[in-house]
Amino acid sequence: MRLEKCWFCSSPIYPGHGIQFVRNDATIFRFCRSKCHKNFKMKRNPRKVKWTKAYRRLHGKDMTKDSTFEFERWRHRPHKYDRNVTEDTLKAIKKIDKIRMDRESRHIARRHQGKKAKEFREAKKELDQSISLVKAPSVLKEDPSLTLPKLKVKVVPSQSEQDRMEE
Amino acid sequence: MGGKCPHRSVKKRRYSHKTARRTKFLVKGDDMVYNELAKPEVERPSLPVDEDLPGMGQYYCLHCDRYFANVSVRDEHFKTKRHRKRVKQMLGPAPHTQLDAELAAGMGMPDNGPKLMAM
Repeated sequence: MRLEKCWFCSSPIYPGHGIQFVRNDATIFRFCRSKCHKNFKMKRNPRKVKWTKAYRRLHGKDMTKDSTFEFERWRHRPHKYDRNVTEDTLKAIKKIDKIRMDRESRHIARRHQGKKAKEFREAKKELDQSISLVKAPSVLKEDPSLTLPKLKVKVVPSQSEQDRMEE
Repeated sequence: MGGKCPHRSVKKRRYSHKTARRTKFLVKGDDMVYNELAKPEVERPSLPVDEDLPGMGQYYCLHCDRYFANVSVRDEHFKTKRHRKRVKQMLGPAPHTQLDAELAAGMGMPDNGPKLMAM
């Protein structure tokens, strides 16, 4: 049994699922579902469609560099079957999968950091800049209830200024 | 590439896009064209005389995979927006392939082992 990867969205294709297209130069295009097949027929670029893995990788949404990506790969070389190795591999798959998932979630959490502060900053700036749309500036001058409270900063005259005042 | 469809009662939608759809998969894929363009000029196949193609298959646009009747028509094609857009696209990054899809899915580069024969 071999789990192929979808050409469009990079999800695994289990046996009996999806469809494949063989072009007249013998290139095989595998699709996990009709959604991906249709998108291919529409000649869409997977790098520009937001729900594909290719997009997410390219735009830093997902983890790109990790040692766990080194395990699953094509190995175009013959290998002698060994029952013990297979058993160990099957055990390792579960462990590695868990490690990768943890790292992935950590990556996403790190990516989301500072989002709230950023949104707050942007909202504050918008309020500052476009308050005139809500109330005219002249009205605001009379009734400053809508403006943001200005922080009062105590001005301490420096030594040189005090000297000048004495003069 | 929509041609005129004269029997249409709705005047707004006068163009038939059937021909464009029919020929959509007769043209070469993006990656094939890209690979062809990446080759040096010398390695590209010469244009054989083919009487079934327009202009005996002598006037060819590599970017758009189209044959033209003569030089002037082809040069006119080189000026079109469609062609220039295509040229720009082909100058950009390589088209998406199955290998890209597999790398994005979390697979590593294929491991072919050591080379057994000296090239």
